[in-house]
Amino acid sequence: MKLTIIGAGPGGYVAALKAAQLGAQVTVIEDTEVGGTCLNRGCIPTKALVASSEALHKAKNLEEFGIEVTGDINPNLSKIMERKNKVVSTQVKGIRSLFKSWGVNLIEGRGMILTPEKVEVQKKDNTTEIIETDKIIVATGSRPAQIPIFPFDGEHILSSDDALNIKSIPKSLIIIGAGVIGCEFACIFKELGTEVTMVEMMPRAVSTEDPEISEIIEKELKKKKIKLMTGVKVEKVEGHKAEENGGIHVYLADGKELVAEKLLVSIGRALNTENIGLEAVGIKKGARGEILVNEKMETNIEGIYAIGDVTGGILLAHTASKQGIVAASNACGKEKRYDSSVVPAAIFTSPEIGSVGLREHQAKDKGINIKTGHFQFRALGKAHAMGEIAGMIKIVADADTDKVIGVHIIGPHASDLVHEGALAIKAGLTVKEVADMIHAHPTLAEGLMEAAEDVHGEAIHAPKK
Amino acid sequence: MNPDNIKYHKEHTWVKASGKKATVGITDYAQDALGDIVYIDLPEVDTTVEANTEMSEIESTKATSAVIAPVSGTIIEVNEKLADSPEIINEDPYGKGWIAVIEMDNESEVDDLMDAGDYERYIEEEAK
Repeated sequence: MKLTIIGAGPGGYVAALKAAQLGAQVTVIEDTEVGGTCLNRGCIPTKALVASSEALHKAKNLEEFGIEVTGDINPNLSKIMERKNKVVSTQVKGIRSLFKSWGVNLIEGRGMILTPEKVEVQKKDNTTEIIETDKIIVATGSRPAQIPIFPFDGEHILSSDDALNIKSIPKSLIIIGAGVIGCEFACIFKELGTEVTMVEMMPRAVSTEDPEISEIIEKELKKKKIKLMTGVKVEKVEGHKAEENGGIHVYLADGKELVAEKLLVSIGRALNTENIGLEAVGIKKGARGEILVNEKMETNIEGIYAIGDVTGGILLAHTASKQGIVAASNACGKEKRYDSSVVPAAIFTSPEIGSVGLREHQAKDKGINIKTGHFQFRALGKAHAMGEIAGMIKIVADADTDKVIGVHIIGPHASDLVHEGALAIKAGLTVKEVADMIHAHPTLAEGLMEAAEDVHGEAIHAPKK
Repeated sequence: MNPDNIKYHKEHTWVKASGKKATVGITDYAQDALGDIVYIDLPEVDTTVEANTEMSEIESTKATSAVIAPVSGTIIEVNEKLADSPEIINEDPYGKGWIAVIEMDNESEVDDLMDAGDYERYIEEEAK
């Protein structure tokens, strides 16, 4: 069976490897670099920058740990970027060598579906190649969405792609959009020494998270002296030629005017579902341009699958990868369905955020009778030893069945800790079962046990209520 | 000892009123219960607060705790020094550790609060 995959991001490359493992003859078409947004312009490079900014933070606060420093501590942006690029290139090489190992044929160029059996590739050298195929997986991903009246210019009005390749640390930065991307960059740049102001249209930062998580991250941003304005729209932006105007001027709907050296627009992502031949074969799309698929990741056209960001939904690398495995399996004749009931998500702000399952308000909206438990990291010895006491763990439980239905964490290593919650939800564990399990001491995971105990008012390390 | 010239709220805040202006802070009992204070989320000037509701939040190494407004009104001044040195609250809760000045909507609200003697009996009762 010949399978052609358009896009080698975390959806496409995983699908390619899975299909190759199942015996398919796989061709992958990629027009930038394997690894897609996640590896080249998203998850991985931002985490490399987060690591540098955290190292800087720790270095600046070494005295707290009893370590004396003589001399200055300064970030060197070009070296930080060099390190980031090396992290990325190591991962890129890793995917390329996996392709080789499994016999996946990588063609560099732009893929376009001509028919369900033919895909055309516009190669970088301007030649074209027609690939004959039995099945197709569309995995073309997404790109930073821009505001049409002030598009990205790469110099003063930046996308997240631009921000990852910035040449100097800006003195001041305005970020439009306090979602995942905006908040991560705010923490990175603030640590590097930039004065950061954020503007968010929604009433709270990271508005897809539980409101209590938003409250705490807003407070943590405030502690860092990052200015955040919520519930306010941007009316217009002026001063693209920053030298002439003293910077970028952002005018808000409430009459305020902000000025900064640079502007980062992180208002969401646009789906790459144009100019790839979807119309030619009649693939159905939804209102936002997303490709409509079923649980087997099949489009309405037989033999054509779609996975990842192009299908709308939650734009996460790990959901794309799982969908890739589902699509590849089905294409290879092994039936598999995509289950999105448990999707942990991580935000690499400082402190980190990790969440899975229902937010408190979502559970209430569903008419579930709920109980919640909370536990603060500052009540854990390990958090004090690490010098990272901010944040808390919140468990949302079904009061009738005692099952864990949501876990929301903000604090040190939240992105890793959340997986115990994910497993509890996936396995249908009760709060009592989680609380009864012995958790190692001294660890941050003890907080999950205590939060579970707190659902029934039984947390040991919490004052009497 | 809790000073005599100020009034106390059951949520462990205090008020020193002078005409319409009320300086507020947390009590010695509260700072001692919280332990080392590491951060205070100061209210913003010109915002309004309502008695018996949260006006600020304090974080210590042990806990985070809401600061409950003892009176209603508009914040006209905040103790900016606390932003960088919140430990002042531990050191001098009734003096340099004041949190904000509220211009009261209704000065008679102060009359409903406890005096030092009542407050001391109240915390003894709470401790039981």
